[in-house]
Amino acid sequence: MGRFKDAAKYEKTIFAVISITTFLLIWYLVTKDTELGKVLAGPVTVFGKFFKSFTEPLGTHVIPGHILWSLSRVMVGYVVASILGIILGVTMGWSRLVEAMFRPLFEIIRPIPPIAWIPLAILWFGLGELTKYFLIALATFSNVTMNAYSGAKSVDPVLIGAARMLGASDSRIFMTIVLPASVPHIFAGLQIALGSAWATVVAAEMVRSSEGVGWVIITGQDTNNSVQILVGIIAVGIIGYVLAIMMRQIEANLCSWSERGK
Amino acid sequence: MTDNIKVKVRNMTKKFGDLLVLDDISFDVHKGEFLCIVGPTGCGKTTFLNCITKLYEPTSGEILVNNEPVNLKKHNVAYIFQEYSTMPWLTVEQNVAFGLEIKGVDKETIRREVDEVLEMVGLMDYRNYYPVELSTSMIQRVVIARAFATKPELLLMDEPYGQLDVELRFKLEDELLKLWKKTGTTVIFITHNIEEAVYLSENILVLTNKPTTIKRNLENHLPRPRNVVDPEFVKVRNEVTELIKWW
Repeated sequence: MGRFKDAAKYEKTIFAVISITTFLLIWYLVTKDTELGKVLAGPVTVFGKFFKSFTEPLGTHVIPGHILWSLSRVMVGYVVASILGIILGVTMGWSRLVEAMFRPLFEIIRPIPPIAWIPLAILWFGLGELTKYFLIALATFSNVTMNAYSGAKSVDPVLIGAARMLGASDSRIFMTIVLPASVPHIFAGLQIALGSAWATVVAAEMVRSSEGVGWVIITGQDTNNSVQILVGIIAVGIIGYVLAIMMRQIEANLCSWSERGK
Repeated sequence: MTDNIKVKVRNMTKKFGDLLVLDDISFDVHKGEFLCIVGPTGCGKTTFLNCITKLYEPTSGEILVNNEPVNLKKHNVAYIFQEYSTMPWLTVEQNVAFGLEIKGVDKETIRREVDEVLEMVGLMDYRNYYPVELSTSMIQRVVIARAFATKPELLLMDEPYGQLDVELRFKLEDELLKLWKKTGTTVIFITHNIEEAVYLSENILVLTNKPTTIKRNLENHLPRPRNVVDPEFVKVRNEVTELIKWW
């Protein structure tokens, strides 16, 4: 088994390297001494600038500083909204009353993309940090709630019956059956939510900020600096990827009992 | 003599709307008895168990455990379902401990009981496995271990071995008999497998087709260990088969 796994891993890595190298090569060729190269910087320039900006500040911060700013904003909005979303989602799945009360409202709010709230958020919270937290929280909330809800809804009734037969009270069943049974669903929601929270922070920072990866991108536009825009985009991509890997690792550790965690 | 009666069912009737499922059923189960209930498919065997456990409320009649209306908080009743009911997020030993934890047993006792019952069902080496890593027969043993760990006064089993192959079924049946003898618990075991009923039981309750009534309450005095090809065994089996025939 182990050898098969190793071989599959090896194969995956090879293909990943090939696909990224091909992409960079095409990027390099189409921008080298071409018309397109005048509006789109080549990979050598962009990555050169990217690594340089680890020591030379863009605006007030070096690139890791911008990344940390964006990440801290994401974390505040994401953590708060995740906690609220898990609580609401699981209770909605467990209690018919809570479901009847919140589900219709939630269904109306859910399809609204978080960035549609930007103008209202600015009117309510001004141009400061609160607006960003609010938008990130919105982006997180509906994904987490929806998944926690469907998780709690799909708990095997046999397990609930078994716990009840052993004499478990409703609250005990909720804590020992419904909640743990929902964990894989909740994790799926947390993963999707992290992606959209990260996308939203960039949008929120592009509206108004003095730091963060969104600021790096939008300032690049203001100063007609396509290299800086691409530096920002690369940072967004890399961090998004790293976050996704981290979440998958946490899930694998927490849900080793389920098929998803394998 | 009433003291010796564990479960008393009196005039139990269950209707779902206009559909009469159980029609005026009365019988007693004695303490420490192993009762098998057999009947045609769909005759309401499971409904019957669900009435005992109050998952359904009987339309009329009463069910007494120790001469009191059944109460799951008070009476220690364990139920083994047809479906596999291990908690997938708990390891084997956590699953077995689950019932004891719910009943508020202290940690030291839980550890002792879990060890003992895991030993009995031969799952000692698998205590840290998750159900997803086990075969179906092992999963059902975990469920049985969980039930016996709580030392139930009444154990209800609804075709627990229906999904197993013959060899495993024989093995688990013997295991069950061992546990039953050791603990002295009262067992009500539902099955559609006549051979299984004759092999396990002290009494066999044969039910009719819907609306279900009791066709016969048959005493089974075959000596143990029983042998399914023994002529006496075959005789009892044929007798039950004749009773159960609805065609």
